[in-house]
This record gives sequence, C-alpha cells and structure tokens, in this order.
Amino acid sequence: MRGGIRLLFLPLALSPLLPFAVFRANRIAQGEPRSLVETLGAGPAALAVAALAGGIAALAFARRPAWGAAIAAALILGIVLAAGWGASSLMAGVPTQARVSPGAGFWVALVAAALLLIDALARMRPRPALRLALVGFAVAAGALLLSSGALSQLSVMQEYRNRSAAFWREGASHLWLAFGSFAAAMLAGVPLGIALTRRAGARGSVLGLLTMLQTIPSMALFGMLIVPLGWLAANLPAAHALGIRGIGAAPAFVALFLYSLLPIVANTVAGITGVPRSVTEAADGMGLTRRQRLFHVDVPLALPVIITAARIVLVQNIGMATVGALIGAGGFGTFVFQGIGQTATDLILLGALPTVALASATSAVMDALIGMLPGGAR
Amino acid sequence: MIELRSVSKVYDGVAVVDDVTLTLERGTLTAVVGTSGSGKSTLLRMVNRLVEPTSGQVLIDGAYTAVIAAPELRRKIGYVIQDHGLFPHWTAARNIGTVPVLLGWRRADVRSRVRELMEMLQLDPDVIGPRFPHELSGGQAQRVGVARALAARPELLLMDEPFGALDPVIRAQAQADLHRVQRRLGTTVILVTHDMAEAIRLADRIAVMRAGRIEQFAPPADIIAKPATPFVAELLGEGDRAFRYLSLKPAADVARPDGAAEGAADGPVLPGHATMAEALSEMIWTGRDRVRIANPDGDPGIVTREALIRAGRPE
Ligand SMILES: Nc1ncnc2c1ncn2[C@@H]1O[C@H](COP(=O)(O)OP(=O)(O)OP(=O)(O)O)[C@@H](O)[C@H]1O
Ligand SMILES: [Mg+2]
Repeated sequence: MRGGIRLLFLPLALSPLLPFAVFRANRIAQGEPRSLVETLGAGPAALAVAALAGGIAALAFARRPAWGAAIAAALILGIVLAAGWGASSLMAGVPTQARVSPGAGFWVALVAAALLLIDALARMRPRPALRLALVGFAVAAGALLLSSGALSQLSVMQEYRNRSAAFWREGASHLWLAFGSFAAAMLAGVPLGIALTRRAGARGSVLGLLTMLQTIPSMALFGMLIVPLGWLAANLPAAHALGIRGIGAAPAFVALFLYSLLPIVANTVAGITGVPRSVTEAADGMGLTRRQRLFHVDVPLALPVIITAARIVLVQNIGMATVGALIGAGGFGTFVFQGIGQTATDLILLGALPTVALASATSAVMDALIGMLPGGAR
Repeated sequence: MIELRSVSKVYDGVAVVDDVTLTLERGTLTAVVGTSGSGKSTLLRMVNRLVEPTSGQVLIDGAYTAVIAAPELRRKIGYVIQDHGLFPHWTAARNIGTVPVLLGWRRADVRSRVRELMEMLQLDPDVIGPRFPHELSGGQAQRVGVARALAARPELLLMDEPFGALDPVIRAQAQADLHRVQRRLGTTVILVTHDMAEAIRLADRIAVMRAGRIEQFAPPADIIAKPATPFVAELLGEGDRAFRYLSLKPAADVARPDGAAEGAADGPVLPGHATMAEALSEMIWTGRDRVRIANPDGDPGIVTREALIRAGRPE
C-alpha cells in the first residue's frame, strides 16, 4: 500500500491501547471499559496484538491491491471474531442481564480496517461481475458469521434475540419503504423527465418545484403530509382500505417518493438532452419514429446517468426511511428511536448497523450494474 | 429524379433557403457548395424532411414527399453526416443494419447485407463488425456511416460534409470509394461540401449556393470555364482556375501518336487515365517539354506543353 492511506496504520496500531469492550451490569447501566487484556486474557491478547502487527506489516508490503484487500478483509474478520470471543469470555459466570458491547478500541480498529479495505477495493478496479461476486461473498460471510453463534454474546445480538420477530418485521417495512418509494419514483420520474425534454418551457418550473421539495426538512414534510393524507383516509374509504393514514407508512412513503423525484427527473432530462446531436440527427435521418428513437437511442444512452440517480436515490431512501419511524412508519428506525428513548446504545446499533449494511450493499450492486452497461453507453 | 420546386425555408423572418428550383437526374452526383451559413444543410435536410419547407415542393420520381410519412420516406433515403452519428451503444455491424431491421428484413438477410457492405467499403466484417464506434478510427467510423446509409439499397443518398473530419490521405480514399460505389450502384447522390476541389472531382453537376440562393447550377467544366457570378469565381479561387480545368480533362485527349513527334521523348510513361494537370505537373517537375502517355491500343502517345497550354484555356 502506498500514499496517504498509510496514515491509517497509526490508529490501527494504537487501537489495542483503547478499551476493547464495555461491560454493563444490565442493558442501561453505566458502562465500564475493559482493556484488550481484560477482555481476552493475557495470552490471547498478546496473540491478537501480534496478529494485528503482522497484518499491518503485510499491508505495508502488499504490492497488489487484491492482496491488500484480502489482508484488510482478514483483519476485519479477526477484529469482529475477537469481539465475539471476548464477549463470551466476559459473560462467563456473570448474571444474564449483563451486557458486553464493543469498545472504542474495537471501533477505531474496525473503521481503520474498513477504510483500508475500501481503498484497496477501489484500486483493484474490479470488473462488474467480480464486484457483484464480492458483494455476494461479503453478504454470505456476514450471514454465516451472525448465524454461527460466534457473536451471540455481544449485546447487539442479545437485543436481536429478544426481538427477532420485530427485527424482521421492521426490516421488511424498511425495505418496502425504501425500495417501494424508489420504484414509484422511477415509474413516475423517468416518464416525467422524458416529457420535460420535449417541453423546454415547463422544465424550469417543474425542476424548480422539485428542488424546493428537497429543501424541506423531512420532519416538516411528514408534518405537511399528515393533514392531506389524514383527510383522504377520513373521507375516502378506498384510501383507508389501502392503508393510507395521516401517520404511519403512508406519509413516510410519500415523503421518500417526493425526495426521490428530483434526482431521477433531473438526471433523466440531463441524460436525454446529453445525447449527442449528431446521434439524434442520424436516428431521425435513418427513419426511426419518435418512439423508436426514445426506446432504442435516447433512453439507452441516458441510462448510465439515470442509473446513477437511481443509486443516489436508493441509498438516500435506505437512510431516510429510518426517520419515518418517528411518525410510526416502522423500519429499522424504530429500534434507533426506541434505543435513544431508553438510552440503550445496543438497541440503537440494532437499528443502525443493518441500515448501513443495506445501504453499502445496494450502492455496490448499483455501481456494478452501471459498469455492466454495454461498451459505448458509458 | 429529384425535383425541388420553388423551395424556401424561413427562420425568424429570414429566408435561409430562398426559392430554390433544381432538377437532379437519376444516377448523378450533385455537389452543393457555398460559404458557411449559405443554407446547404437546410436545403439537403428538406429532401428527407428533417426540415419542413416553408413553401415549395420536393418530388422524388414524381411523387410529392410531403404526403409520405417522414420515417417511411427517410428509410428509403441514405443519410450521411460529418460526425457520422453512429449509435455509440451499438456495434458497427448493428449500426449498419439499422434500417434493414427497421424495415423488418429477415435476420439472415440483414447479416449478409452487412457483410456485403463492409466488404465493399474495405472493412473486415469479423474485425470491425463487433467493435463499438469508440473503438473505430475516424476513417473507419466514416465508412461505417456510409455503409449504414447504403444498407437498405436507397436510390438516393444525402451526404452533408461526409469527409469534413478526415485527414487528406483518408479523405482522398473516401472520395475514391464514394466515386466507385456511386458508379457501381447507380445511386443518385447529393453531396454538401466546403471543398471546391472535392466537388469538381466527384460531381456531375455543381450547385453553388449563396445566401439561400443558387448562383449557378452546371457541370464542373462549365463552372470553371464560365463562372456565372463573381462569387462563383471567387469560390473557385481564380489563381487555380486553369489548373482545375486541366485536372478535369484526360491528357489522352491531346496526345499524338509517338511517331508523329519530332524526336522520341524519354522519361516515364504516364498511365492512360492521367489528367492534363498531371501531365503538366510531370513536365514542370522533370524539366521536359513533352511526356509520354500510355495507350492501350498501341505505342505510347506524346503530349506537348503547347498542346496542354492551348487546352487549358476554354474558348
Ligand atoms: N433550426 C434553425 N433555427 C434557426 N436558424 C437556423 C436553423 N437551422 C439553420 N439556421 C440558420 O440557417 C442558416 C443556414 O444554415 P445551414 O446549416 O443550412 O448552413 P450551411 O450552408 O449548411 O452552413 P455550414 O457550411 O456552416 O454547415 C444559418 O444562418 C443558420 O444559422
Ligand atoms: Mg451545414
């Protein structure tokens, strides 16, 4: 590894000096820091530090980005496994309401290793198929790790066990909110963008309106939607039957939909108006009808720009869907806000970690899709 | 046969094409030359209705184009533009097959037609066919553009500065290709160009445009011999007139049988199709006052300097 990224070796190397775990008598008690030696025991701690030092040295001399990525991934796995193992040993012989969560040393080491991994992956410039394979591999490895029980004594996993049914239910509604509103925004936004390319006059005002919508803070937008949706639910039995209410999933869905529109519409317009003039002229000159030109030339050539918007919107929606929990929309945000209310950090993590994982995986898959578009379209 | 009857196009109150009437015979190549902004492209684009005339009619083989659905009309007319306009997300082969596919040809027919065209334009179908436009050189992309325009065997081919972006060597080759293809297929061609030499070399007739009007419409020899207006003369470049004229005529026209010449000429024998300009150039370069020229029916003929100079001044 070369360049400024090597600065990350410093926090990685110093992380064993920070508390590796936090012990609590129960889930909301004051946490007590535990060093690496206290967590793992002297012998395993020495081994862990040696492994870390070896990993850093290997990273420093790794010539090929692929080796760097493999070493960084191994470090991450080791750090996580050490946390799981440490939690088990700290929990041995203490009451079951005690909690062990990762400490500052864990987080510093994990973030540094993750950044090193991301850097190495970026330098690998993997082909799209390999990227998809790597995402699949990471997801499979994560699932295996979680289901193996190696991490079961960590506080987050205990929170999960206590509410696993709720976790999957909220996960499903999170996905529905994020992907459903995205799909609706694509269905509405792409045709709207196409229509705007043909009406330069309306373009400015529509894009202006959508930009204005983006600037409304999400809580304010929820508030603004509660009244009209509540009215719809009260006065239209059909709307009520569809599950539309003033609070709950409907206003969150609509808000995410509205936020999604600007990137999609704006990029559709930009993508289509960006098709070179000689290409559209040739298409017309060859005798393509308007429809044929749209579907065979304009949209395919605008696709990379439209998919870029889709990627932005999906990642944005996965994050923002969390906020919907505030008005009872469900989703992983439910755990975050419950956790804040109870000052239970572990519960906050139970909501936040899957959101981050979902957003990262989605972003990586979308990047790979953009890379898979045929030759000249990129 | 293409007829333009009093065709005009008005943009913002300005007639950029102003009452143009032209008749182009089937199988001929007509070059449209003129300064930038004189309305050449607009005139060309009114033939395939990329631009609708403000007034006047365009007829192809006696049929009014205005009553034919534009896409249907355009599929029968080849169209080549300067930046070739190849579809960047399609391979060269698929680009060439565009119109046949639109016309619903069978797949096998499209494929064999694409191969045939690529071979005719000296593009290796197996090498160039699967490439995307950004993987082609400028000259290759231009030839793919020509192949695409010819794919559905149009009887009319419109070309808007097709060779404008090519270097001189590739450009000369592309011109030769066009000449060969046009003669072989008997296609009627309208070629818009900035390059008077190109027009003189390729065209059966040249239309000189200025400010939306046709200043002169005549065969190249007449344009050089009798420019109708000072503008036409200026466009020709007065200094080069004689040479341009000589470049149109075969040197064989003024050759005498070898034996009739007093004293046999030495030096190389020019090929039989050499022009008078080439013969004169050879004399200047080698310091001779006579050169030999090949004669398929017998001994080489002799061309003298006096004969050339006499021939270079039209009566
Ligand atoms: N769509 C249009 N709207 C308004 N004016 C136009 C339009 N198209 C062309 N013109 C004007 O018409 C005139 C002729 O344009 P045209 O493209 O036919 O010229 P040209 O002879 O092909 O020039 P060049 O050699 O530079 O290509 C120019 O003054 C141009 O600005
Ligand atoms: Mg032009």
